[in-house]
Amino acid sequence: MAAEDHTRILVPVGESTTLRNTVAYAVRVAQDDATERGVSATVHFVYPAVWRSVEPTRAEKFERAGDLLERVEVWAREDVEPDEADVAVETAIVGAEEYLFSPSDFARVLFDYAREHGLDRVVVDPEYQPGGNAPMLRPLEFELSQTGLDVEEAPVERPARRAALVGRESLSQYLVVFGASYLFYLVLGGFSVDAFELFTGAVSAGIVTVVLAKISLKGPPDLGRLPGQAARMALYVPYLLWEIAKANVAIAYVVLHPRLPIDPSLERFEAAVWGDMPATTLANSITLTPGTLTVDVSEREFYIHALTRSSREDLFDGALERAVRFVFYGRRAARIPSPEERLASRERGEQ
Amino acid sequence: MTPAEIAVVLLVAAGTFFAVVAAVGVIRLPDLYTRTHAASKSDTLGAVLTLGAVAITFGGEITAVKTVFLLLFMFVTNPTAAHAIARAAYDQGIEPWTADDSGGEPE
Repeated sequence: MAAEDHTRILVPVGESTTLRNTVAYAVRVAQDDATERGVSATVHFVYPAVWRSVEPTRAEKFERAGDLLERVEVWAREDVEPDEADVAVETAIVGAEEYLFSPSDFARVLFDYAREHGLDRVVVDPEYQPGGNAPMLRPLEFELSQTGLDVEEAPVERPARRAALVGRESLSQYLVVFGASYLFYLVLGGFSVDAFELFTGAVSAGIVTVVLAKISLKGPPDLGRLPGQAARMALYVPYLLWEIAKANVAIAYVVLHPRLPIDPSLERFEAAVWGDMPATTLANSITLTPGTLTVDVSEREFYIHALTRSSREDLFDGALERAVRFVFYGRRAARIPSPEERLASRERGEQ
Repeated sequence: MTPAEIAVVLLVAAGTFFAVVAAVGVIRLPDLYTRTHAASKSDTLGAVLTLGAVAITFGGEITAVKTVFLLLFMFVTNPTAAHAIARAAYDQGIEPWTADDSGGEPE
């Protein structure tokens, strides 16, 4: 690569407490290296997009990412020592056209960017969390080093982990998990109002909350929307059960038919659902219903294995997708066009 | 037989039927993906129907509620497991079987 005559460093950025120091460190490293070799340096700050291309709040998130990059650029320019080697600063948003999901997705777009710009060194912010609360930094670093890039974690001071166990913003998160586990415990115990049951239930729910609250909910839940979602979920379950029953009769017919009339194929479609819960619900519902099986949800697309032709048609008809949108976003969202119509309109647009 | 007993017999019979269909499907279907269809769907319904029979047999409210929880967990875990298997296969680059592979006539 072109690193011989120029120092080029890639820094993936996102909201983090140590971002400021990481920027300083990256600039320092670039400038030292460039000064030593008597060349100039470029530091690329890259923001991997964590939104889906069809998400409604996309523009807003784009703007936030742009603001962050602007801030980073200003910091970086502040850090450049004027009397040493020249350091240029570049910023970019990558992966906005796809849904980055797993560490390997992030590693891939970063690697593509690195190759495109001839970068061979990566400085990673130790507090960088592309996957929200899901720990992703370690696997991401591993994936990146697998591609042959030189990966280094910025040795910056990390703030002590938050001393208070419950921050104000995550209180509702804890309460929801606590309430759900306490209720579950009491139901299993037969709703007895025995003091013993109430006490052990509170203790168990407390342990579950402390250990799992951060894992089971990604962020503070939107309490205002929860009852509506639960009510619509109650409508969705019978519908899903009916679909499952139909699915099984269809599969039983196909499996027991002497000629085994199957026509399997792998389909991909871009689902118009956003966020972990809706995507998981849709993926699982697809797997449970007529002859379709979710194979992969990485990037912005669902890869679906369809067993028969009619199951394929049902999938593109989008009834399930609409139902899932109805559950999570209410009636207005159910009116988004079906996958088939979206595909058709995109093809028209390309012609 | 009381109506409850009839319902239990019907549910268990239907549950067994779908469990058998799942087994037959796993043997007859040509590749991993298609077999996962049989294993994930028919098996779920088989288990659900049988658990329904369990709920009726015990009759008591709490047992029924617990059975419903079991059903819910099956609905969440079964497709997740099927997805994990299919995704692993897909990541390994296993090509799905298509009707063309044997001239449109699976064995």
